[in-house]
Amino acid sequence: MKRNPDSIVNVLGKTLYVDDLPENAGMLHGAVVLSPSAHGRYSGLDESKALALDPSVRVLVAKDVPGQNQLGSAVLDEALLAEGDWHYHGQVLALVLASSRVLARRAAARVQILGREDLPAVTDPREAFKRGDIILSPRTQRMGDPEAAYKDCALVLEGRVESGGQEHVYLETQGAIAWPEDSGGARVISGTQSPAATQKIVARVLGVPMNRVEIETRRLGGAFGGKEDQANGWAALAALGAVKSGKPVKVYLNRRDDMLATGKRHPYSSDFKIGLSADGMILAFEADYYQNAGAACDLSPAILPRTLFHAAGAYRVPNVRVTGTMCRTNLVPFTAFRGFGGPQGLFVMESAIEQAAAVLGMDPVEIQRKNLLKTGDSFHYGQDVEDARAEATVTRCLQKARYETLRAEITAFNAAHKDLKRGAAAFPLCFGISFTKIMMNQGGSLVHVYNDGSVSVATGAIEMGQGVGRKIAIVSASTLGAPLASIRIDSTRTSTVANTMPTAASTGADINVMAAKVACDEIRKRLIGVAAARLGVEPSAVALEAGRVYLNAGAAATGSEARRDAGLSFADLVNLAYEQRVDLSAHGFYATPGLHFDMKSEKGHPFLYHVYGCAVISATVDTLRGSYQFDDAFIVHDIANSIDPIVDMGQIEGGFAQGLGWAALEELKFDDKGLLVSNTLSTYKLPDAHFMPRMDVEFYDKPNPTVVANSKAVGEPPLMYGIAGYFAVLDALKAAKPGKKGFYDLPMTPEKALRFLADDEPKEQGS
Amino acid sequence: MKRVIRFRLNTRLYEEEVQDEALALDWIRSTAGLKGTKEGCREGDCGACLVLMGGRAADGSTEWKGVTSCTLGMGDLDGRHIITIEGLAADGLTPVMEAMLDEGASQCGFCSPGFILALTGFLVSGVSIDPVAAMAAVEGNLCRCTGYGSIRRAAATLCADFADLPAGLAPRLALLASRKVLPPELAALMASPPEALGVAEAAFASIHPADPARVTIGGGTDYYVRNPDPEPDTAPRFSDQAPEARAIRKALVSGQAILELGAAVNTDDFFSSLLVRAMAPGIERFASDIASPPIRARATLTGNIANASPIADMTAILIALGARLVLEGDPGGERLVELPDFFLGYKKLDLHAGERIRGIVLPGEPVMFNFEKAAKRARLDIATVNSAIAVRMAADGSIAAARYAVGGVAPVPLRLKEAEALLIGKKPSAALARQLGALAYEAGSPISDVRGASRYRRRLMERLAWAHCIRLWPELRLEEELLA
Ligand SMILES: Cc1cc2nc3c(=O)[nH]c(=O)nc-3n(C[C@H](O)[C@H](O)[C@H](O)COP(=O)(O)OP(=O)(O)OC[C@H]3O[C@@H](n4cnc5c(N)ncnc54)[C@H](O)[C@@H]3O)c2cc1C
Ligand code: FES
Ligand code: FES
Repeated sequence: MKRNPDSIVNVLGKTLYVDDLPENAGMLHGAVVLSPSAHGRYSGLDESKALALDPSVRVLVAKDVPGQNQLGSAVLDEALLAEGDWHYHGQVLALVLASSRVLARRAAARVQILGREDLPAVTDPREAFKRGDIILSPRTQRMGDPEAAYKDCALVLEGRVESGGQEHVYLETQGAIAWPEDSGGARVISGTQSPAATQKIVARVLGVPMNRVEIETRRLGGAFGGKEDQANGWAALAALGAVKSGKPVKVYLNRRDDMLATGKRHPYSSDFKIGLSADGMILAFEADYYQNAGAACDLSPAILPRTLFHAAGAYRVPNVRVTGTMCRTNLVPFTAFRGFGGPQGLFVMESAIEQAAAVLGMDPVEIQRKNLLKTGDSFHYGQDVEDARAEATVTRCLQKARYETLRAEITAFNAAHKDLKRGAAAFPLCFGISFTKIMMNQGGSLVHVYNDGSVSVATGAIEMGQGVGRKIAIVSASTLGAPLASIRIDSTRTSTVANTMPTAASTGADINVMAAKVACDEIRKRLIGVAAARLGVEPSAVALEAGRVYLNAGAAATGSEARRDAGLSFADLVNLAYEQRVDLSAHGFYATPGLHFDMKSEKGHPFLYHVYGCAVISATVDTLRGSYQFDDAFIVHDIANSIDPIVDMGQIEGGFAQGLGWAALEELKFDDKGLLVSNTLSTYKLPDAHFMPRMDVEFYDKPNPTVVANSKAVGEPPLMYGIAGYFAVLDALKAAKPGKKGFYDLPMTPEKALRFLADDEPKEQGS
Repeated sequence: MKRVIRFRLNTRLYEEEVQDEALALDWIRSTAGLKGTKEGCREGDCGACLVLMGGRAADGSTEWKGVTSCTLGMGDLDGRHIITIEGLAADGLTPVMEAMLDEGASQCGFCSPGFILALTGFLVSGVSIDPVAAMAAVEGNLCRCTGYGSIRRAAATLCADFADLPAGLAPRLALLASRKVLPPELAALMASPPEALGVAEAAFASIHPADPARVTIGGGTDYYVRNPDPEPDTAPRFSDQAPEARAIRKALVSGQAILELGAAVNTDDFFSSLLVRAMAPGIERFASDIASPPIRARATLTGNIANASPIADMTAILIALGARLVLEGDPGGERLVELPDFFLGYKKLDLHAGERIRGIVLPGEPVMFNFEKAAKRARLDIATVNSAIAVRMAADGSIAAARYAVGGVAPVPLRLKEAEALLIGKKPSAALARQLGALAYEAGSPISDVRGASRYRRRLMERLAWAHCIRLWPELRLEEELLA
């Protein structure tokens, strides 16, 4: 069994996450004072009760920021510390420092807001849109002419679709520790997915150039996109505290503060129009997506296009017009979350197909199958479909799930039961890989081979449980010809590899493995040169593999037929190179080739390749209580050549669980005043083991020649399979209420299910 | 309050001055410096802070159970044995850890120590070794990375490898030591007599005689969620530490059999009690509806009642079972209060200053019982609404007596006397179920909140009334008519 050695420290309980690192004497702990409502003004803070609690207490506010009090990147619209007003529930008003965390939190609770005046709050993106409160401009992508195409359609349907937000619930909450530096800058250990971005914000807040700020990131206890831009503020607060107090400062959020103050997946409200032929071919599709961006821009402009790119799902649609708008509301700034806008768009298309199928009297699976993308088709954003794997994976998955039999079983079961109804649904996946912002598709590495033969590989990749370190180690070892055990993946530091991109968009392995490979290739070349000179052969006659030097078959000097061991180990060779003053370090750089996109025409080639796959999920609904359970999930996933099957299996099952949670359990709830009411793990429920169905995952392993090791990125795509869970429950609900129109308001919840079953709906949604 | 307590952490015996009310989680991480115990939520909901706690079982033997150290007061460690991941890992990888590694069940790893402790506790506990039971043992643990597939596979491997665990504690510990599930030194200590291990009845109650200023803490699973950073110098009194407080006894009062439950009887104690099971046959199947294993091992019935939540599950169950409370500490002497009358208003109790609940009294007559809970997630979730019913049947097949409780539709848990009046003297039927449902639909004045809209709560009340009838009289197949 291939074990991930990186996990050994985890199971021994020895992994040091941010809050586990040894604390320096005199370290101060930070706690935050958060805004109490969704929108308001205040005249100041009364700190006296907090200060009276303990001599170590200190309160920092906006005017204490030496540099710019600004967290925004695409748009400068987000203050680190509020200045007289707040725009969402949970915005940071002050940082409170004290000698212990409990003390800091108790002190923070004693800070009083003076002159508080609550202002009207907008929570609905459509309302914000109506008021013209949008961020940047709407974006539209089109192909063909949907208006004209509707004339040829046997069925044209319009509808409205809602999807809710999602809390990341990385088990390790956000945090950072900062040490003041005599340069006026700071050294920070931060739980960030993007050390370079964090470095930039910390430098801006401190008012120093980036070269005076070092960010180091070790292993993260989960991130899922939630520690991309959203990690910057906590690092900046820790650095601010450190510079102001002259002491190391740790800011580590408790769960409630983390849930209140940090961004989540965007809720969307969307309208669609779909046109089909009588036999279920999709001829035209239009959609308007109102993205609830929250109170600040954050990463919304990068997330919105991914919704548009994935609007048509895994289907060939000849006529498309899709428009997305970022709407500014008084909710926490929504941010990156695994899937990055893709799931929201895909859910709209699947909702349209489900409704069309009901009208046409077809199984949705039939429409899904008929319209799958084929090699040679075009995506509506201008890219050609290459190496399509939709049909292969869908066919295999339906086979695996014995779909026809399953349908027959469900029909029989439903005829025999009144209190329970079963349902099933499929979801075909097509997900584009690359950062949608072209400049972000770059990465660097720094590889050192030490003179004892051990190797240190640094890249911009952050390990957060997705096994990227393992993949980098495997490819580095095979490139160098070094034993796998000799490779150590270094923590990610801005001083080692500069200007790195976030570990995100599923590209962490693709880009950073390549960057490491470039550097390893360089060192390997040098080592082979040393070995060839020593052995008196041409470099081409020498091979380096798994820690040994070999002479290739037929190498001139040996005259021998078979390849043979040259009697040198990797470590011997390294030492030889060291003695000969050969450079044993190299920097690597990789920029994903072939990507381009024109924002004006909204056409180009934004993705290096696409990941395909299919899920079939079945569910049982308790028609008395409206509760449901998922029975089976069959998944066939386009993994191509798996670098590490155990790691990849974990990504697929784990991603699917998050998707199923988003689709059918996790309900991010704000009240009508914009207060987050699902702000603890007792009110926000995420999947537990009992919630998850039996899972049967199969790899579709056709190699992918476009990237290293013929593999495919795996981080985000499996999340989307959860969408089938929503429709499996809906299918079962409809079995209990034949002929009743469905509802398209994700997540599915027992409450919505019972409302449907008991006909409690005042008016039907989604029409 | 500061106080010297004596307890063992892994193999080391501590005699320490501690702040009584401080969280065990904070002490383990900061003072003992053991960082393998993680904070994921500080409210009992994630299991990242799970440790095994050894103490005296109701029968005097030693037992270890997973508990969440974020809902545990330091004062309650007195006379207890705590095992953390560092204790398990003292000699390196154990088979539980290896199974997790082999299946890739540790991704980011933040949840891993908690899962490993829960699974190790499962092997130590002596319950039947099968994958379903193993996964039930981790129902208090969340993992956001794996999707649980790899954890299930690891649990299945462990069950296959340890199918032959002996039933007796001493041979089981010996086997677990020889197979390296427990480091030998730790296992030897665990097998030693409680006194040698350091597990003892703490003399806490006698240290702190009744004192009106003190707040009584049962399992702390509600108290610490409301006070995650407790103010120092609150002076808690841990009812768990009082001798006899965990006993469930049968008694005769003027010829009538009753059950007496001590103040510290926890949810596990209740559902595993043979006396309780004899009174309400089948009641144990509802245990898994309540919280999670680490919470059930701590959460007391009195705490469930005194936290005055309108959706407290055990309270609904106890109302249906006809519970009365024994209140002590009032200068006027002990009082007996009918449980429904104990709730005066939202979070307002008929509890005088200085009074506390000494115990609970249940009528001993056997009843037919059902409990219904509607929540978003089937396991480890707070109810949107709940309802419990207990009936006795007359010889002619009509309902002779009924008690009906509902929660989540009013500021307090309710006993629905109208529903009881409706049922008494009638024979169960679909029509009766509908009438009961209509009555329950109108019960209380449910509000809309994070767990559901008021309309939904009403609809659930109706449906749970139907569900009671369907489950109490399955032979009538009422669902055919009710759901037609
Ligand atoms: C993760 C989690 C899940 C939960 N799930 C459920 C669930 O499914 N269903 C449910 O009903 N509850 C649930 N709860 C709530 C809680 O666990 C229960 O209400 C539990 O029974 C409380 O008991 P305790 O002993 O822990 O109470 P404590 O926290 O010890 O005490 C609660 C309150 O009662 C008072 N009190 C305790 N003992 C006495 C006494 N003898 N006399 C007077 N006052 C006293 C305390 O002062 C305190 O105010 C959950 C809690 C958590 C953390
Ligand atoms: S920290 Fe989550 S259960 Fe204790
Ligand atoms: S491995 Fe990350 S939470 Fe379980």
